[in-house]
Amino acid sequence: MLDRNYKEKMIESVLFSVSTLTVVILLLICLFLFRDGLLLFEDVPFSNFAAGRFWYPTSVNAQFGILPLFFGSLIVTAGAILFSVPLGIASAIYISEMANPRVADYLKPFVEILAGVPSVVYGFFGLVVLVPFVQQTFNLATGQTALTGSVMLGIMALPTIITISEDAISSVPASLKQGSLALGATRWQTIYKVTVPAALSGISAAVMLGMGRAIGETMTVMMVTGNTAVIPSFPGGLFDPVRTMTATIALEMGEVPQGSDHFHALFAVGSVLFILTFLINLVADSIKKKYRFKVD
Amino acid sequence: MTEAVQNVAQPQIEVESLNLWYGEKQALKNISMQIPKNSVTALIGPSGCGKSTFIRCLNRMNDLIKNCRIEGKVLVDGRDIYGKGVDVVDLRKQVGMVFQKPNPFPMSIYDNIAYGPRIHGASKKDIDGTVEHALRSAALWNETSDRLRSPALSLSGGQQQRLCIARTMAVKPEIILFDEPCSALDPISTSRIEELIMDLKKDYTIVIVTHNMQQAARISDYTGFFLMGELIEFGQTRHIFENPLEKSTEDYITGRFG
Repeated sequence: MLDRNYKEKMIESVLFSVSTLTVVILLLICLFLFRDGLLLFEDVPFSNFAAGRFWYPTSVNAQFGILPLFFGSLIVTAGAILFSVPLGIASAIYISEMANPRVADYLKPFVEILAGVPSVVYGFFGLVVLVPFVQQTFNLATGQTALTGSVMLGIMALPTIITISEDAISSVPASLKQGSLALGATRWQTIYKVTVPAALSGISAAVMLGMGRAIGETMTVMMVTGNTAVIPSFPGGLFDPVRTMTATIALEMGEVPQGSDHFHALFAVGSVLFILTFLINLVADSIKKKYRFKVD
Repeated sequence: MTEAVQNVAQPQIEVESLNLWYGEKQALKNISMQIPKNSVTALIGPSGCGKSTFIRCLNRMNDLIKNCRIEGKVLVDGRDIYGKGVDVVDLRKQVGMVFQKPNPFPMSIYDNIAYGPRIHGASKKDIDGTVEHALRSAALWNETSDRLRSPALSLSGGQQQRLCIARTMAVKPEIILFDEPCSALDPISTSRIEELIMDLKKDYTIVIVTHNMQQAARISDYTGFFLMGELIEFGQTRHIFENPLEKSTEDYITGRFG
């Protein structure tokens, strides 16, 4: 009897420690990221980093201004959202409300496969197909632009946006749709006046998560955006090369002497990125919770 | 059928040998019925007898169900609603429906009522009047006039159901179908809805599906008894409850099964 109780307790505590491991890992990542990032400010004033307009990490007068990288990430992500949100919501509406269930069953796995394609493959596709296309269409010096990155990231954010919006739209109770149809509304009126508004918080969560995916993506943007660390103008900057925070870390980390200011600057950029994605996920999560409450 | 129905002067809904299948399963068998104008007709019967399926034939809500096949005629004001060239949107404007569970839209009280008129292109000026009139007709105006902009979901269950009735009336139908409108409500809300239904027959033809036989006896002029997809008996409510012609009707009404 005692033995059996002991066993139960053992199993419970093993499972408990395994599941808390993720939290511990996250805390360790935070700890090392922030520690190494903060060491930068022993040599470089915080304002030079946070408000600096130039990223010249290897010149004699090294400058570690994050703004070009921050706005690089921002313009690529904004473009990606502008591209993927209309497409994603339209697909979600089609799959959940309009498509014949058999067609939907064929479409959904394809959307999920889209999510599983390695980012380097997207990058390759972008480099070979989209970069020359953008260069020729807009008659530019190079096709490696923020726009190219936006389109690629938009495609990559699509599965997230489609699956989560589709979930939100299909969980709108059938009784609401029937109520609308019974009042003489057409199917389309019902979709855009009742179903989609009722699913709006779920859809916003989907957009936030898609944004989180886009802002953190590295390999693809590195391959198609040209990696020039200059503060982009908007919207003209869409047609210029940019460099994102993620690409900067990936490109420079291999070359940097450990413990140097440059090394710490990359960690500081990483910390900013971490905080940003953390905030986005937090907002998405709270929207999702609110929406769950509403459906009950 | 019974003599009571043959005396009906002005049927608004005429159903002629209606059969309905869900896939292979036949859910309605050869139903014929004449529903008079400005009356309350109750449909009773045990669960699964087809009464809800039947009422959903009257505004073609069964169109939404896959594998659903219908034969026979349903005439509303003499026009076959399953005939060629019938616009379902126009039909549902003419034949409104209130559902079992209150289903207000997640928007304000005002917008719930205004929803129907808006999609049918009513002007902004008219909508204010329509909303007030519908809420007054549904006996909900006094409780809501000072908070039309608050969410409909903040109302109680009974108020929500009256809101759904008001919403239906705002489209100005001729017929209102009620599919067990009180089954999710408490007794006090139920009696308010019953009063409302009896009051509404001045202006509308009403068909109500109910599980509650006392409710059918209290509020209806005509009653139809369904069993296993067949209409066993149809006639004046008084006749059905006092002198049923069929044994199974009597058994059901006296509570021997159901």
